[in-house]
Amino acid sequence: MSTGMNAIETWLVIVGLTGVTVLTRSFFLVLGDRIPLPERVQHALRYAPACALVALVAPEVLAVNGELALSLSNFKLLAGGVAIAAMLATRSMIVTMLVGMGAFTALRLFA
Amino acid sequence: MIRKAVFGERPELAAVRREAFGAGLRAVLPALVATGTWGLVTGVAMVKIGMSQLEALGMTLLVFAGSAQLAALPLIAAGAPIWVVLLAATVVNLRFVIFSAGLYPYFVRYSLGRRLLLGYVTSDVGFAISMQRWTAAKSRGPDDALDPTRRVWFFLGIAAGNWLSWQSMSILGIFLAGQVPGSWGLDFAAILALIALTVPMVNGRPNIVGALVAGAVAVAGVGLPLKLGLVAAVVAGITAAMATEIALERAHRA
Repeated sequence: MSTGMNAIETWLVIVGLTGVTVLTRSFFLVLGDRIPLPERVQHALRYAPACALVALVAPEVLAVNGELALSLSNFKLLAGGVAIAAMLATRSMIVTMLVGMGAFTALRLFA
Repeated sequence: MIRKAVFGERPELAAVRREAFGAGLRAVLPALVATGTWGLVTGVAMVKIGMSQLEALGMTLLVFAGSAQLAALPLIAAGAPIWVVLLAATVVNLRFVIFSAGLYPYFVRYSLGRRLLLGYVTSDVGFAISMQRWTAAKSRGPDDALDPTRRVWFFLGIAAGNWLSWQSMSILGIFLAGQVPGSWGLDFAAILALIALTVPMVNGRPNIVGALVAGAVAVAGVGLPLKLGLVAAVVAGITAAMATEIALERAHRA
């Protein structure tokens, strides 16, 4: 089994991501003396992570082979919906994952 | 020997450091179950999308960022361009840019190298616990928690607990992943983990509008080359969230 990347690309990504971790987490610790952060920009930054995560998750559950798949035979969509409900109800990541995997597995085996 | 290397030679100072470090460890303990589970899932997911065990070990030990790693995985699996993977991880990590602005006044006295290290070991939990404790201490007047030495060692204690639980469980996941048959569909667990991470973030009307727009654009742009749909979705989502915020402010004032 392998990804869509070869070993060199994968290691470049790993090194690059390490840089991303250091840069984002120490950004103002290092540049705080120099850059004031306007309030509008702070707010925009606050919305960015949720947008990015939704943008990553949505195609994984809403699309199959590049096509919008809003049907009951799209098990990832159904199980994803169950997981969202579980997270809203319990606020527990463990419960959300167990319920989501349970739903996904049950659908694949029995539906 | 190790104690002296970690906490220093001078006994009084070492005692203060050790005590603050221990207080940090105790403060983070309740959060470590979640951190560990998250690490386990990430460890399994890295191997399940097709990374080798060595690559997965390298990733967890170097990158040390759960949400950014999980965000990168679908893109790595799809063979997206490297800059897109890094951009996606940066956006997911933007919250830490805000955190670093919050921590800045507390760590400004340290050298560049130490600030980079303190930044690197910052976690969501670590930021939340530390700021809560320090700002509470401020409102009560002078307090031991405001002593700079105690402060940084408290922070390091949290970071140590967090790092240990994350790395040990992530490594466990990397080695367990091979034992789990592909037919269990565990790669979907990484998506579920992202969902669990996303749900609490989508609170308040600007975030909800931003999320809906980002999701719609992402799905609409799923066929675009270079995963540009993702980039367009994030930009559209932030713009929509900001527009909503401004509209709400106007409505509030009117």
